[in-house]
Amino acid sequence: MHNNDMATHDIIASGLSKSFGGASPVDALAPVDITFHAGQTTALVGPSGCGKSTLLRLIAGLETPTKGTVMIGDETPRDLAHRGGIGMAFQDASLLPWRSVHGNIALALQLARQPFDAAAIDDLIALVGLEGFADARPAALSGGMRQRAAIARCLVTSPELILLDEPFGAVDELTRARLGSELPPLWRARGTTAILVTHSIAEAVTLSDRVIVLSPRPASVIADIAVEGRTTADIENGMDAVSRTLAAAA
Amino acid sequence: MIYRAAFPLLGVLATITLWEALSVLNAGSFVIAGPVDVALWLRANASLVGHASAATLSAAFWGFVWGNLAAGAIAILVIVLPRTERFISFAALVIFCLPIVATGPILRVLYGTGTGPQITLAALAVYYTTYLALVVGLRAVPTGWTDLVHLYGRGPLTILRVVRARACAPYLLAGLQIAAPAAVLGAMVGEFTGAERGLGVLTLRAMAGLDVVATWSIAVVAATVSILAYLGIGALSRLRGEGPPVLILSTGSPGARDPFLRRMVEAIGITLLLLLIWQVAMDAFGLSQFFAKRPGDVLTYLGDPVARNTLLGALWETLIWTVPGYAAGLVLGAGLAAALTLLPGTAGLIMPLAVMFRSVPIITTAPLLVLALGRGATGTITIVAIMIFFPSFVACLHGLAQTPGQVRDVFASYGASRLRLLVSAQIPAMLPAFFASARMAVPAALLAVTTTEWLATGRGIGALMALTSSTSDYNMLWSAVVAVALVAVAAYLLVERAERWILSSYAAEQLA
Repeated sequence: MHNNDMATHDIIASGLSKSFGGASPVDALAPVDITFHAGQTTALVGPSGCGKSTLLRLIAGLETPTKGTVMIGDETPRDLAHRGGIGMAFQDASLLPWRSVHGNIALALQLARQPFDAAAIDDLIALVGLEGFADARPAALSGGMRQRAAIARCLVTSPELILLDEPFGAVDELTRARLGSELPPLWRARGTTAILVTHSIAEAVTLSDRVIVLSPRPASVIADIAVEGRTTADIENGMDAVSRTLAAAA
Repeated sequence: MIYRAAFPLLGVLATITLWEALSVLNAGSFVIAGPVDVALWLRANASLVGHASAATLSAAFWGFVWGNLAAGAIAILVIVLPRTERFISFAALVIFCLPIVATGPILRVLYGTGTGPQITLAALAVYYTTYLALVVGLRAVPTGWTDLVHLYGRGPLTILRVVRARACAPYLLAGLQIAAPAAVLGAMVGEFTGAERGLGVLTLRAMAGLDVVATWSIAVVAATVSILAYLGIGALSRLRGEGPPVLILSTGSPGARDPFLRRMVEAIGITLLLLLIWQVAMDAFGLSQFFAKRPGDVLTYLGDPVARNTLLGALWETLIWTVPGYAAGLVLGAGLAAALTLLPGTAGLIMPLAVMFRSVPIITTAPLLVLALGRGATGTITIVAIMIFFPSFVACLHGLAQTPGQVRDVFASYGASRLRLLVSAQIPAMLPAFFASARMAVPAALLAVTTTEWLATGRGIGALMALTSSTSDYNMLWSAVVAVALVAVAAYLLVERAERWILSSYAAEQLA
């Protein structure tokens, strides 16, 4: 399952918008056109409630667009989801409390109708640093450990696309920094396309190749900033650029 | 901790001592038989009581099984096909509101001899609480878990199997725990309608013979069996590590936020559909028009002013004693719960006893209370109040404990008194639990009052139903069933209306 030559399709959102509610709808997302490049990690940042998560959920196929489309090659998100092509880590980890770490990771294989592969699960548990906790229930884990289990679950099906919705939101600052440096190489090495929603400018720049800044609700793209490299200077330049854009928008 | 664990035992001992003292004080009044007399009677009649208990337990068990299977089936249907919920929930409520005092004799005619009526009534007595518990439990799933399943392109059936079925386990166990004593009650009412053996048969015999010791002894056995059933399922849930059972709050009726007019139109539509099902079911099974009355028969019969006035008169006689009992039970339950929170520590100690008494079936206590308090208003109102008191007391104690710790801290930081905390924070936090119990108390109050009238006081619609079933006046019997069910459903919806209105300002999050 560890194939590095993923199908390399960009994720193309065209005229994508979403409103909620019937009689007096609320626009969560103004029409946006964004291309997420295959194999890259893109961060979405913006003020609270601007529709970042809505955009992520539209890409995951968890919401139906009011207008516009999301296409991955010639597939819709639901086509891709149906064959286990999408992994997602949620803000609260969303582990099932009655399953062990191992059982929670195995659940993704079961849901994606992929063969059970105990060795692959054990490898991933080791990779996210949860050796010795395979049989632990989520209640026995710290917030950071739960997030790592959730990331292992999201990677186990070898998805082409992973979506991370503030995955470190519930984690303390120190753990957050460590996870931020340890985890991205896991999916970069596999050539996986990743889209990350975060509140933290530092996190967005550190983890990603590109940062897209969204306006207050209804969200539209106000800046698209490439992070040139991984040196401290690159990161600082990126953070400056994102901060300036956000300040100008506010 | 040891004190806490020993308290229920001490409470039982204290109750027994008090009971013996009362019986000694009232010796010769033929009202109370003390624990010593009861023990002697039980020893003398051990074999008789053993066989009767076995018969009742067997009927209660099969009713419990069938009722819960039915509850599971309709709960799953509602979860998988949410569009069916309005109809199913309303139909389930209406059926739950049918007075078993009348459905019992009708079932007896349908089944003839045997255990059919006992099992059916036990099933009818359990399915609604289990249904509510299951619907709440199956829905009590964070969106993250359902998103996860959708993320892999899987649908509602997978969510049901992988997530909901497991997530609802604690709710199911809490529902089953309440259902277990209810099954015993249902089985005993079924036995009243002419079974050969069972605790219900012994109760009737003892009451007819004015045998106070036997009446008390059988009541004690039935109460003990119910409490053990309740505790047994509680132990099962602790064994599974589910922790204490969750308090089942409302689901309320679906669509309760819709405009009043629309809800009324919908209720009328659903009622007409139910009437149609009633008619078609009777015809399909080819049931005799003599005892299996159709909607048209009831309508024609009630066109006669004499019949109508008899029915309405009996209904009125019943309601003027039910309403005060209902109100008193709720007020006392909530009031005592609130008062106990002012005395820290006591609530946790009294709770296990209250939970135990909650599971004592009304069938067993009603004859004893009537013996003690007489056939007048006091006896009936007290029985209804006691029937309502324990569930609302337990629910309100749970509700008061729901006050968030941070809110308590805010009050503490201003040096607010316990009373201020109670009035401004804890009572508002208690309201959802209070209303959930107030709603469920409506059918319970009508069950208590009709049972009491039937068994003991000989007045009101309960007695009318008993009389007409013994004289085979099936037109009046079915009309009484319809009248009681209508009153129960209307009162339930009225309480729900009040609940919505008050919770919208005090606990809006409960109305999501």
